[in-house]
Amino acid sequence: MQIIINIIISLSLILLLAQSFKIIYLSVKFFHLAHAISITLGAYFTYLFSIEIGFNLIVSIIIAITVSVIISLIIYLVIYKPLQNKKIPNWQLLIASLGIYVVLQNLVSMYFGDDTKSFRTWEVKEGHQILGAYITDVQIITIVVSIVVLILSWLLIEKTNIGKQIKAVSSNPSLSNIFGISTNKAIVSSFILGSGLASIAGVLIATDTDMTPTMGFNWLLYAVVAMIIGGMGKMRYLFMGALLLATAQHLSAYYLDSKWMNATAYIILIVFLFFKPYGFSGKKLKKAEL
Amino acid sequence: MDYILHLAILIAIYTILSQSLSIVAGYSGQLSLAHAGFYGIGAYTTALLSVNFGLSVFVTLPMAMLLSGIIAFIVSKIAVKTVDDYYIIITLGIQVVIFSILNNWQEVTRGPLGIPAIPSIKIFGFAFDSKLSFLILSVFIVAIIWYLINNLVKSPFGRVLRALSEDEIFTKSLGKNVYQAKIISFTISGMLASIAGVLYAHYISYIDPTSFTIDESIFILSIVIIGGMRNLKTIFLATVFLVLLPEALRFVGMPSNIAANIRQIIYGIALILVIFQYGNNRDKLKTKRINKANA
Repeated sequence: MQIIINIIISLSLILLLAQSFKIIYLSVKFFHLAHAISITLGAYFTYLFSIEIGFNLIVSIIIAITVSVIISLIIYLVIYKPLQNKKIPNWQLLIASLGIYVVLQNLVSMYFGDDTKSFRTWEVKEGHQILGAYITDVQIITIVVSIVVLILSWLLIEKTNIGKQIKAVSSNPSLSNIFGISTNKAIVSSFILGSGLASIAGVLIATDTDMTPTMGFNWLLYAVVAMIIGGMGKMRYLFMGALLLATAQHLSAYYLDSKWMNATAYIILIVFLFFKPYGFSGKKLKKAEL
Repeated sequence: MDYILHLAILIAIYTILSQSLSIVAGYSGQLSLAHAGFYGIGAYTTALLSVNFGLSVFVTLPMAMLLSGIIAFIVSKIAVKTVDDYYIIITLGIQVVIFSILNNWQEVTRGPLGIPAIPSIKIFGFAFDSKLSFLILSVFIVAIIWYLINNLVKSPFGRVLRALSEDEIFTKSLGKNVYQAKIISFTISGMLASIAGVLYAHYISYIDPTSFTIDESIFILSIVIIGGMRNLKTIFLATVFLVLLPEALRFVGMPSNIAANIRQIIYGIALILVIFQYGNNRDKLKTKRINKANA
C-alpha cells in the first residue's frame, strides 16, 4: 500500500514537470535543459523570501514563481531568440542551454551554499494512516495541487486562445505566421506557462524533501524520460509514460534498493529508444519538412 | 615543482580524453555525454585487476580497452538509432547508468568508498612512481594517441566520418556504410578514453566514482566544443586553458569552494559564447547555393 502512495506522489510530480517541459519543447523544438533551473529557483526563491526576508509563505511562493518565470523569459529573449534567429541546429541550442544551466546552478550554489536548505517552519507531523500506509499532509497537498494545476494547464492549452496559438505554432510556425499568429508571442506564453508549472513543482518538491542546488536537474531528467517514453501525442500518453517511470522506479526501490532508482529510469529510456523510439503515442516528431 | 608536474600530468590525461571525444563529437557529429563513463570503466578495470590480482599494466591496459570497447560497441549500437538532441539525452542516460553501477555495485567496486592503494605502473622492473617519470610516460602516450588520431582522421575512414557529419544521407548515397562508421568511431573513442582512465588510476592511486560523474562528461565535452570540435591542436590548447583555469583562480586568492563554482560558470559562459559565435546553419548554405542556381 505504501508503495502505491509513493508511486502516486512521484507520478504527480513527474507528470507536472513533464507537462511543463513538453509545453516549452513543442514551441521551441529543442531540449531546454535550463528548464531545470526554474525548478531550483522556485524552491530557492521561496526560501529566500520566506526565511531570509520573512514574508508570509504563500506570498513568498507567489513572488518566487513570478521571479523564476521572469528569469526564464530573460533567458529566452536574450539567448535563445537571437540564436533561433540565426537558425542554428537544435543540438547547438541544447548545448547553449546546458551552458546556461551550468552558469545559473553555480550562481545558486555560490549564493545559497551547497548544503540542504528548507523553508519548513512548521512541525513535522506523523502522517495519516490509510490502509496501513502513511501519508503526510504535505504529500496530500502535493498530490492535490499537482492534479489541479495539471488540469488547469490542460484546459489552458486545449480550450483557450493562447493554448491554441501555442499548438498552432508548434505544429507549423510558418503557416501560423500567415494566419497572423505571432510565433514570438506563442513561444513567450509557452515559456511563461512552462516555467510557472516547473517552479510550482519545485516548491512542492522542496516542501516535501527540502532542496539542494542540483535538485532541478535530476527531476528534469525524469521528466524528459517520461516525455520521451510517452511520446509527443496527447496528455494521456504523457500520463502513461510518467506512470510507467514512477512504477518502475518505486518497484526497483522496493525490490532492490532506492539507490538504483536513477539507473532504472535510464534503462527504461534506453529500452524505449531502442524498440519504440516514438514512445507510446507513436506520433513522429516533425524533424524534416518538404 | 611537483605541483607544476602534477598539472602537466592532468593536462596530458585530459588531452587524451578530449581528443578521443573529438573523433565522435567533431568528426562523426555525435555529441556524446557518456565519455566520463568510459574513462571510469578504464580506471576501475585497471584498479580492480591490479589491486585484487596484482596483474601488470601490460595485462590491465588491454583488458580495460577491451572492456570499454565492448561496452562502447553495445552503447553505440543503441545510440546510433537516434539523432541530434535524442542522441545527447540517450548518452546522458548511459553515463548515469555507468555511474550508478560504479557507485552502487558495492560488492565489486566498493561504491563511494573507492579503491585505495592502486600500485604505480611498473614496466620491466622500472616503477613510474615519481611525478617526473610518470609525466614522461604520459607525454609519450599522448604523443602516440595524437599521432594515431591524426592519422585516423586523415585516412579514408576519417573522410567518411567528416562527410557523414556534414550530410548523412548524401554520404549514404555514395555507398558508404554510415552506421558502421558511427559505431566504429564511437568504439575507438571509448577505448582511447579508457587509456586515460588507466593513467589516472595509477597516477592518483585512489579512485572513487565522483571522478566520473555527468559533470565530468560535460566538462570534457566543453573542452571539445571550446577547442573547435575537430582541430586537435586547438583542443589541446583548450585543455590547457580549462585545466589551468581553477589554479589561476586560486592564485588570485579565491577560496577553493567559490573557485570551483567560478570555474564552472566560466566554462558555462564559454559554451554559450562559442555557440553564439560559431553556431552555424548548414541549411542556410544550401539555400544560398539553390538561390544561386535559380539566378
